[in-house]
Amino acid sequence: MVLYSIKSSILNAPLCARAAVSMRSIKQKGLDMIPNAQFSNEKFLYHLKDIGKNFSSDKQRLALGVTALATQPFIDAHNKRVDEETRKVSVARTVAKIIAGTLTGFLIRYGCIKSIKAFSQIPGKGVPKYKTIFTPKGVKDNTTDAFDQYRNAMGTVVALGIMVFTNFLIDAPLTKFLTNTFVKHQKMEDKK
Amino acid sequence: MANLFSNFKSVMYKNYGENPGKMLVHTGVLGWILSAMAQVSAVVFNDKISKEQKSFLIPQEIADAAINIVSYYVITSSFKNLASKLVSTGKLSTSKIRNYIKSKKVNPAEYIGKLNTNIEKDFPEIKGDYKAFKNGVDVVASTVGSIISCNIVTPILRNEYAAQKQKEAILRMHGKRQKNENNDVKGLKQPSKLSMDNYIRIASMKYPSSGLKV
Repeated sequence: MVLYSIKSSILNAPLCARAAVSMRSIKQKGLDMIPNAQFSNEKFLYHLKDIGKNFSSDKQRLALGVTALATQPFIDAHNKRVDEETRKVSVARTVAKIIAGTLTGFLIRYGCIKSIKAFSQIPGKGVPKYKTIFTPKGVKDNTTDAFDQYRNAMGTVVALGIMVFTNFLIDAPLTKFLTNTFVKHQKMEDKK
Repeated sequence: MANLFSNFKSVMYKNYGENPGKMLVHTGVLGWILSAMAQVSAVVFNDKISKEQKSFLIPQEIADAAINIVSYYVITSSFKNLASKLVSTGKLSTSKIRNYIKSKKVNPAEYIGKLNTNIEKDFPEIKGDYKAFKNGVDVVASTVGSIISCNIVTPILRNEYAAQKQKEAILRMHGKRQKNENNDVKGLKQPSKLSMDNYIRIASMKYPSSGLKV
């Protein structure tokens, strides 16, 4: 209560009120600078809505990995602050890390989201209790968009917990193996 | 314990059930935090790294993690929040939503693109169409933001930071070598903390592509 009154007295102070008005006017000017856009292409809207509904974190991880392959090796290859040898190794390691991280990141997220779907059924006749372990209390319909998004979120959180371990058990050794393979291949190419 | 899990499921359902863009941003940040914790603990619990090297590497790992987490959150949530604002104020809209607003005799010039405008609250009748469109825009914005953050901004910032740290370490080692040479003259030898070879070995493994993203 005391904190609330202190907060409101600070926010209602003339200086604060003026700052808020100025901030609002800056925001409005920024918004005015952006032109209006209206979409009417049904095909485009269908795909956009589909992305909003079905694009879960596993697909986002895949998109991140694919675009990372196009940008990160390029950034490392043009890092003039290190010598050529280090640059080559760092490019190889970056590519290896992206492949290992994307593979495990995508597969574990995908698997966890699918598993959560199996274990978040609505309680009822013929549904074993273990199949409702991830169903939130009071939810009666598991066919809504909101429930699908919940399954994606829960699957992602479980996947992140698992990946703390697979980061060491799979990603790190796989990255090391791929880096060595790429470096070996690069050296053979250089000899030619 | 069971109650805690039940509450956790309810919180997840309420917060992310209708907001996939927010979920992608938050789980992305959580992913970076967990992978940073893994990286730091890999150094802390590694017996092959000496105590002196740990005192040098742990703060670097933490700073590196801070760069990853802050840049990811700031860029991705900015993209997502801007996209949300554009949709909620009607700046970014569909013909169906725009026509509906017009049919309600609202002057578009006075309504569209104003900070106070909130289509979801003002026109609950078209909530279904509006939400589907907004979720799509949010997810696209979050993904574009995360791609720019993880694949462009963070590697550049990390390379800059790594180069800066490498420069400082080399300067420090030169200073130490100078000091050791002076001490040698007096017959006293100081134990070296981090050799140049060691530094290069660690740096080549760690920089410029450190931090395994989960």
